[in-house]
Amino acid sequence: MIELSHVSKRFGEETAVDDISLRVPKGKFCALVGTSGCGKSTTLRMINRLIEHSEGDIILDGQAIEVYDPVKLRRRIGYVIQHTGLFPHWNVARNIGLVPRLLKWSAADVQGRVEELMDLLGLPVGEFAHKYPHQLSGGQAQRVGVARALAADPDILLMDEPFGALDPITREKLQDELAKLQARLHKTVVFVTHDMDEALKLADHLVVMREGRIVQQGSPLALLQQPADSFVESLLGGLERGLKQAALTRVKDHMTSMGPTLPAQSRIPADFSLRQALSMMLRDHSDRLTVVDQHDVPIGELSLRRIIKEAQLDKGSARE
Amino acid sequence: MSNSLSVAQPRKRAPLWLWPLVWGALLLLSVVAMSAAEPLFRWIEPDARQVIYDRADFYVLLGRHLLVVGIAALVTVVVGVSAGIAVTRERGSDFLPLVGQLASLGQTFPPVAVLALAVPVLGFGTLPIIVALMLYGMLPIVRNTLAGLQAVDIDIKTAAHAMGMTPTQTLRYVELPLAAPVILAGIRTSVTINIATAALGATVGASNLGDPIISGIVNGNMAYVVQGALTIALLALTVDSLFELLQRQLRSRLSAP
Amino acid sequence: MSLLDALSTPRLRWDGRHPNTVLVSLSLIMLAAFWSLDVVSMAPNRIVQGTSYGALEALGWPGALLATLLLSFIGILAWQPSPRHYRALLAAVMTLMALMPVGLIASSYLLIDPELPQARLGLGAAYWVVLFVLLLCLIEIRLRLKLTRLWPTLLLCGVALVWWLCATLWLDSLALVQEFKARDRQFLRAIGQHVTLVGAAVSISVVVGLVLAMLMRRYARLQKSAFAVLNFLQTIPSLALFGLLLAPLAWLAANVPLLGQLGVSGIGTTPALIALIAYSLLPMVRNTYIALEEVSPDTLEAAKGMGMRAGQRFWQVRLPLALPVLLEGVRITTVQAIGLTAVAALIGAGGLGTFIFQGLGQAAMDMVLLGALPILMLALVVDAGLGALAEALRPGGTR
Ligand SMILES: Nc1ncnc2c1ncn2[C@@H]1O[C@H](COP(=O)(O)OP(=O)(O)OP(=O)(O)O)[C@@H](O)[C@H]1O
Ligand SMILES: [Mg+2]
Repeated sequence: MIELSHVSKRFGEETAVDDISLRVPKGKFCALVGTSGCGKSTTLRMINRLIEHSEGDIILDGQAIEVYDPVKLRRRIGYVIQHTGLFPHWNVARNIGLVPRLLKWSAADVQGRVEELMDLLGLPVGEFAHKYPHQLSGGQAQRVGVARALAADPDILLMDEPFGALDPITREKLQDELAKLQARLHKTVVFVTHDMDEALKLADHLVVMREGRIVQQGSPLALLQQPADSFVESLLGGLERGLKQAALTRVKDHMTSMGPTLPAQSRIPADFSLRQALSMMLRDHSDRLTVVDQHDVPIGELSLRRIIKEAQLDKGSARE
Repeated sequence: MSNSLSVAQPRKRAPLWLWPLVWGALLLLSVVAMSAAEPLFRWIEPDARQVIYDRADFYVLLGRHLLVVGIAALVTVVVGVSAGIAVTRERGSDFLPLVGQLASLGQTFPPVAVLALAVPVLGFGTLPIIVALMLYGMLPIVRNTLAGLQAVDIDIKTAAHAMGMTPTQTLRYVELPLAAPVILAGIRTSVTINIATAALGATVGASNLGDPIISGIVNGNMAYVVQGALTIALLALTVDSLFELLQRQLRSRLSAP
Repeated sequence: MSLLDALSTPRLRWDGRHPNTVLVSLSLIMLAAFWSLDVVSMAPNRIVQGTSYGALEALGWPGALLATLLLSFIGILAWQPSPRHYRALLAAVMTLMALMPVGLIASSYLLIDPELPQARLGLGAAYWVVLFVLLLCLIEIRLRLKLTRLWPTLLLCGVALVWWLCATLWLDSLALVQEFKARDRQFLRAIGQHVTLVGAAVSISVVVGLVLAMLMRRYARLQKSAFAVLNFLQTIPSLALFGLLLAPLAWLAANVPLLGQLGVSGIGTTPALIALIAYSLLPMVRNTYIALEEVSPDTLEAAKGMGMRAGQRFWQVRLPLALPVLLEGVRITTVQAIGLTAVAALIGAGGLGTFIFQGLGQAAMDMVLLGALPILMLALVVDAGLGALAEALRPGGTR
């Protein structure tokens, strides 16, 4: 668990982070979002003591952060740096095995772990282990960066715009993989991004920052339904907010049991999002879709009217 | 590692070790068998009583020359690289501007003048030339060490830090290896310049390959001058090509982009 | 050297809490040197080894105290640096430098027996160390105050003037002055020769270098071979190149009467000049080439787009933009030539090297100093002067 209470950071005169409080429970995924220069990276770096905070308390697993030896602390926290920061003079295997080696694991253990991680991140060992960073594509380099951060199996993972410099398609693919990974590994993650869609997609807890302060925090759905001010609203995409909210909701949560099926009605898998369902309705000029399971067997029905009604219901429940 | 090496090795027409071997062989030949070339030198100096410098064996002179350059290089590398490292650390950063300026000033001091100023303090012999060479050779090493270390990407240093490397580990495993090619280039420049400059030592009684040259100038015997110059040039070329070899090896090992 | 200039300027701290450790340590070094090393030495005549004297004997209580105070003052001011303190530091350093000859006058008064007209005063190790470290302080202060190189150079010229005045008026007993007085004509001629040789070699190599660099830009093949030859030339020791030119030139002078009449001869100026040019060409050509190459293609494209002709582009765009780097080349070349010309004395080319080698031959160290110090000063002045000029000519001003 990570807990920040009333934390500030000043660089000389300038206050980069101003009195922020934040709690990330164990196994949760927290995203920090905000415009460039608002103090996201600074917040992240205070957690692994790359930067010492000026005021307030940062508590990791019940202990004030000052208690830990900074070097040992950093070896226990995975960190994915903004522009990959892979070591150009080491090959992929050596890059990934760095922290285990620093922790003096045996050579065999290191090698085993490296291979395991390369498998996990979809980097075939035979092909990539001996490549150097400059021989990798941007997406591959980012995977190596993530693998390096996971190497010593840390409980906490800090990620600073890990997918910042990638094309939208690669980016989306890596986001999906990260989501899957997190579902399996249950790390406590703090994730920095300025891409709101990325944050909405991945986060359990969303923190919006502006000029060093936290403007609003909460679950993605809560923020979408009730943005605190126009800044958060514009970050959330203004008028597109409804669609973004729909993107967070699964079809299966809103389907009803089968009504009279029209033969020409389009079919949609149950684990698609409402946003995809809406798009399909627009495309097919229909207000009903047949919901199917993974074997394409119809299991229910989705109607436009119902989606709209339920959205209102959610709004009511998110108010508390 | 060997696996990646063979991948990264640049394809070359001549093998890398060819040039040091050729120059080294010629150098060896010139120091052990200078007298065999007597007819040639006789042609240069038909009237001289003697055309092969024989006050000392050439291999002895070569040895002394190497010793002087070697000691100077050793001290310069140790001092220069440590100074470069010290002033790029957090604690020593105050000294960075001064050391940078000082390094560039070092080469402003003409070696003859330094030599001359060192003699009153250190006396005649080998010591003053070593000091002069040290001062003269310091600049390229300090300058390149600074440039090399400062060129290491800040992101990479942060990453090293963030992965939990201690400052010493960061220096040793990340910064120095990445700066090594640049530092090595500085050492190469420094040593090659000093091989030629060391000949000046002969004017203050440090016996080395400059001896035949001085003796030739004093006695008006061109053959001596040629012998000294030839041997020094061959030594410089040998050492330079060795450095070239080393640099290539390093570059392919690092396989930096 | 251009690399060094390209280094990022370190962040300067004006917060006043952080002492300038550089100046503090320099101040401590000076204090230690002043009190532990000998300040002056005194010899009854030219041949006899002198006796050394420490600070107290050389300057007396008041002098030693004043010097100690001024030296500690530097450290104290540097403890809490601020722009105002740096300016005060500059003043303190300058005062110390200007007071140094006065100290010598005091010691000559205190130590020299008027009965011994031959007695001579030598500068001790402490004097040299303090002078050198003061120069370091000056560099540090210049960097902190972000002054251009011009200012310290001008200030140092002022200090040199003070030294000169003191030396000519009151410091007859200083060994250096005595050596100079014994051969002032010779000295001035040597300086003249030195400067002429350097000037001739550098100006010729500037022209040749420019032509060669432009040819290289046109003919890519020439570039490789020319750099290979010039690089090889640098591996030949200067001593040897001077020596090697003796014989062929002597032969030419003897066999081609016209050349002999023109003053070409085996020893002396001609081989020296040729060797100097040979050595000067590499730094000159390299920097000229780089300077011309480095001008941004976008700028040239723009000039072309504006309708400038090739000649106009070269003279009005490329050359002015290349000028600072080009001057950098001239600076390196000149400094190198000043040192090499000293070696040329060995083949009878004259110049300040004559004193060095004569002095070394006679084991007369003051005479060696008479040759070596002006060479050093010449090199430093040229370095600072051309450096300042290059700085001033940098496109877009100095800052
Ligand atoms: N080491 C430092 N010294 C001085 N100021 C700093 C330092 N690091 C960051 N800052 C300042 O703190 C503020 C926050 O920087 P930070 O890097 O946390 O922004 P960010 O939100 O990560 O921005 P980006 O999205 O561009 O990465 C900026 O105004 C920056 O100038
Ligand atoms: Mg950032």
